Amino acid sequence: MNFGITLSLLLIATLLLSSCSSIRPEPEIVTVTEIIERTIPTVAHPKPVRMNDVKVYVVSPTENFEQFMVEFKKKNGTDSYIAISVKDYENLSKNFAELSRYIKQQKQIIIYYEKAVINEPSTISVGEN
Amino acid sequence: MIKVYIMIALIGVLGAGAYGAKYYYDTTQNTITQLRNNNAKLEVANETNKATIKKMGENAKRLNDLTTALNEDLRKAEVYGDELRDTLSKHNLTHLANKKPGLIEKRMQNATDELWDNLESITDSNTPTE
Repeated sequence: MNFGITLSLLLIATLLLSSCSSIRPEPEIVTVTEIIERTIPTVAHPKPVRMNDVKVYVVSPTENFEQFMVEFKKKNGTDSYIAISVKDYENLSKNFAELSRYIKQQKQIIIYYEKAVINEPSTISVGEN
Repeated sequence: MIKVYIMIALIGVLGAGAYGAKYYYDTTQNTITQLRNNNAKLEVANETNKATIKKMGENAKRLNDLTTALNEDLRKAEVYGDELRDTLSKHNLTHLANKKPGLIEKRMQNATDELWDNLESITDSNTPTE
């Protein structure tokens, strides 16, 4: 009789010690590896600007005004001319320098982004599953 | 007669115990197998994560290098304007134009032609940036 009780106690103890693990099956781990590569196509750059020649005259009222009038009339007929002061010419130069800087920097930023979005071949390597 | 009942009960208990032990053994083995498989999968996932982190680090370094190069290029683009402002501040162009209009005209014409060439060059996609 004692043997039966001992055996029963052993069975109950086994069940308690295993924390009912036999009843709850171990969950299966599922790993999913998903590699998402960005695909951003780069587009062709716009065609470069084509600038027209511009003739600059520097005219001093005391030095070459008469000569300028003769040369200008000879070349352009009786056309009017647009005068610009030296100071304004300097400002015009500075404005063009600013535009030049802006274009250069924009171009460099575009190149930066083009390089940044280039998809390099994936180097992720993992062991055998 | 009682002994027979006790014997039958004992056999029943022993049988149930044996079945329970077998059931416990089987489920434990299944659990061990499942845990081994899970462990293998987690090891692979861990390796993938490590490789991904390494790749992200390399990308971050590449972008950092690109940003450094960009900042340097952006700074270089300021040079022309700075030099021009410096040159204009050093010389009294109004005075020079009054005294030597022919010389200044030639220099202005060259500078203007150079500016047009420069604008054509920097908008050309085949020309490398400075």
